[in-house]
Amino acid sequence: MSYAVQTKELTRTFKVKKTKKEGASEVVALKGVNITVETGELFGLLGPNGAGKTTLIKILSTLLLPTSGLALVDGLDVARLAPEVRKRINMVSGGEHSGYGILSVRENLWMFSQFYGVDNDIAYQRIDRMIEVLGLSEFKKTKIGKLSSGMRQKMNLIRGFVTDPKILFLDEPTLGLDVQISRDVRKYIKSWVKNNPEKTILLTTHYMAEADELCDRVAIIDQGKVIACDTPSNLKRLLRQEAVFHIEVNLSMENLDRFSGIKGVKNFAYEHKHHVGKTELKFILESDAAISQVTDVLRQDGTRIISLSKTEPSLEDVFVALVGKGLENES
Amino acid sequence: MKDLAGLDYINLRMGSWLGWQIETNWTNLWVYGLYSLARPIASTLILVLIFLVVPQGKLEHPLFVYTYIGNAFFMYVYMVLFGISWVIHEDREHYQMLKYVFIAPRKMYYYLAGRGVAKLAITTFSVLVTLAFGIWVLKIPVDLTEVNYLALGSGLFLGLLCIAALGVILAALSMVTAHHSFYLTEGIAGLFYLISGAIYPIDVLPGWLQTLAQAFPLTYWIELIRRSMNVPLQSQVLSVYSWQELFLVLLISTLVLLIASHYIYRIFERISVKYGLVDRLTNY
Amino acid sequence: MNPELKTNLKAIWGRAYVRVVGANREPSWIVSETVLPVLAVAAYVYVYRALNPDPLFTSLVILGGAMSAYWMNILWSMAMQFYWEKEMGNLDLYMIAPISRMSILLGMAAGGFFFATLRAIAIFVLGIILFQAEFVVTSVWKLFLLFFLSMFALYGMGMLFSSIFMLFGRGAWQTSTLFQEPIYLLGGFYYPVKTLGAAVAALGSLLPITLGLDGMRQLTLKSGKTLGFLSVETEILILVGMSVVFLLAAYYSLLFMERLGKKEGKLSLRWQ
Repeated sequence: MSYAVQTKELTRTFKVKKTKKEGASEVVALKGVNITVETGELFGLLGPNGAGKTTLIKILSTLLLPTSGLALVDGLDVARLAPEVRKRINMVSGGEHSGYGILSVRENLWMFSQFYGVDNDIAYQRIDRMIEVLGLSEFKKTKIGKLSSGMRQKMNLIRGFVTDPKILFLDEPTLGLDVQISRDVRKYIKSWVKNNPEKTILLTTHYMAEADELCDRVAIIDQGKVIACDTPSNLKRLLRQEAVFHIEVNLSMENLDRFSGIKGVKNFAYEHKHHVGKTELKFILESDAAISQVTDVLRQDGTRIISLSKTEPSLEDVFVALVGKGLENES
Repeated sequence: MKDLAGLDYINLRMGSWLGWQIETNWTNLWVYGLYSLARPIASTLILVLIFLVVPQGKLEHPLFVYTYIGNAFFMYVYMVLFGISWVIHEDREHYQMLKYVFIAPRKMYYYLAGRGVAKLAITTFSVLVTLAFGIWVLKIPVDLTEVNYLALGSGLFLGLLCIAALGVILAALSMVTAHHSFYLTEGIAGLFYLISGAIYPIDVLPGWLQTLAQAFPLTYWIELIRRSMNVPLQSQVLSVYSWQELFLVLLISTLVLLIASHYIYRIFERISVKYGLVDRLTNY
Repeated sequence: MNPELKTNLKAIWGRAYVRVVGANREPSWIVSETVLPVLAVAAYVYVYRALNPDPLFTSLVILGGAMSAYWMNILWSMAMQFYWEKEMGNLDLYMIAPISRMSILLGMAAGGFFFATLRAIAIFVLGIILFQAEFVVTSVWKLFLLFFLSMFALYGMGMLFSSIFMLFGRGAWQTSTLFQEPIYLLGGFYYPVKTLGAAVAALGSLLPITLGLDGMRQLTLKSGKTLGFLSVETEILILVGMSVVFLLAAYYSLLFMERLGKKEGKLSLRWQ
């Protein structure tokens, strides 16, 4: 069977230069990654910073060679057939500063379209249509140096689509964008895949809600390894037997390690909200009964519980359950 | 005022430290040494060959030592001038952190001057290498025991202040020009090379250029340096000045330039803020 | 037309467009590319005049100064360009595009050549007006051939450097500055290259611009033949060879360096 993207035991290591005393060391960015993405899928790669998402995208987009293993894009080996792969792909990264400040939005987009041999008429048609859809009409003649980051990212997104690639890699496309613009971007991505069933998108993100909303399937990656890969609803079903509780307490808590040792606690995450002097705790428990153990521990040290609620598992909960930490903190 | 003075010193020091890091930590010591030697010696040898190619030319020609000394010290002009003005482009376009320095509660003027200090240190090495090469290899008639070190030291100090002030003025211009004005700085350095009498007496210039040369502080600086090193040939035009008079002219013009550079810098800084040029990218 | 050829031609135009448009939108180049370059050249004119009033040397310097515009362009706008693009975040996008890297460089070269030519013409024309430099062309077709062959070989060399600098860290800048004065020395920009002696002149002749300039002097200066290192015909033949060698070397070097960059993960590595 031919996949849009396929990797087999894909590994990538980097040598890290250190001081003369410490010598060089190796960082393993990807460890034996095996994923398959079908044609027409909107596939998500979800993981914290440093998980290996961008490294994977770079290999698939022919910017980086794997150390070992195989990566195929549209059935073509990215290491040996890079020129052929490039005819079929494009890539957009979040927080990108590409382009030339001296050119306008429209000119930059046209210029990049020329690197893919798009005829001028077609290029301008696509550019103008996408500019309209993404609400950039007012800025199409503005030099890109004068754009806000949100507008810039919209332009970057158009750059990715204007070449009409078979497979599009989106590396954190909504990074640093406000709610409205993120929503516009996601809406556009969804509609593009829906209207072009022969096209494929591989999207990386560390926003769980985004992966949940957009993706047909999600691979959860952490420390270079894919630890789960399924549809968002199937991933959430993994936690069906488990209970997810949210507890808000009134202090910025120290010594949170003690919760790991409580019987029945599978995993937990926390978020300090310093500005209001609260901490939000999230527990994934083997059963509802274990919550009493948790509340006992809290009461023992006099912590006041402000609220306690049980929720249906979200993708974030799945992530916490599998990885042992939230994406906003380390524990 | 005490606080302000304290902050300025800090910025000067930070600029110097950063400038030194940028200039030196891109390679190992040996490669850096080679780089520091190759450029000044190549630049010197160009002049040597010009002298040898001309039928009457030879290294014993009295103009050779005149040209050699002037060219050696002119390196300060090019390197420090370029070094300071280039900071704007480098920090704005390459490292994209100019805006962060700009908005910090410190005077950027001193940050720029500090970045020049690193260039100054590196250039001093190049100048010393060039002089050593000239005295011991090319046997130019400079007797180190006869040098007027007071005149040389004080003249050098003032001249460097003057160059730094000019560098800051160029940096101010760079705030409102695009990336390609790397050539503007090259061009300005070229103009200074032409009118300062670095490599020939200003007497050979046409009348109007001589007038311009006499209005330029660095002309007196280079003449002062040569006199302090007992270079036998002198410019007829400048021979009317004693070395003390040369020093005085240099002192006054340096003070004027230092003050002017403060004001010019502030004017262009305001223009760049007004038109949003502090963080623009213009590379193409 | 072959689709790949069409794509690459479009890429050349797309990249050249940035340089051409950039110039028009930032008019400060008019002064920095025309008037100011003459000044440094003028200094060397006056050194020669202080030593010897023979106008031959004035013309020699003016021609060398004019051609130095192309060397500066190669060094700063070609050799460094992929490095600048990497720092600006554009290199990744060029690398994933289905085009030859040489197309991007050719586009840059086309734009850069325009500016360099402007600079060269300004030095040349102002040199004639201000310094009464004298030129007498003895063979127009040989002159054009020599010039264009030098340019092919030189820009091929620039592409070769570009491939190497692509993976450099900040040392790229220092390396470029290192190539300025020493190349002026070895290239004989301000004196006949044969003054360096046969061995060193031969070394300097590895630079296409050295032979180009030497030949052009023989064809445009009175008693220019006495200043020549090799005959014009020999220099033309060597430049033909160099054009082929440098362009091929650039092609393979770009492939090799790209692969090396991908293997070591340096293609996107900034601020090193």
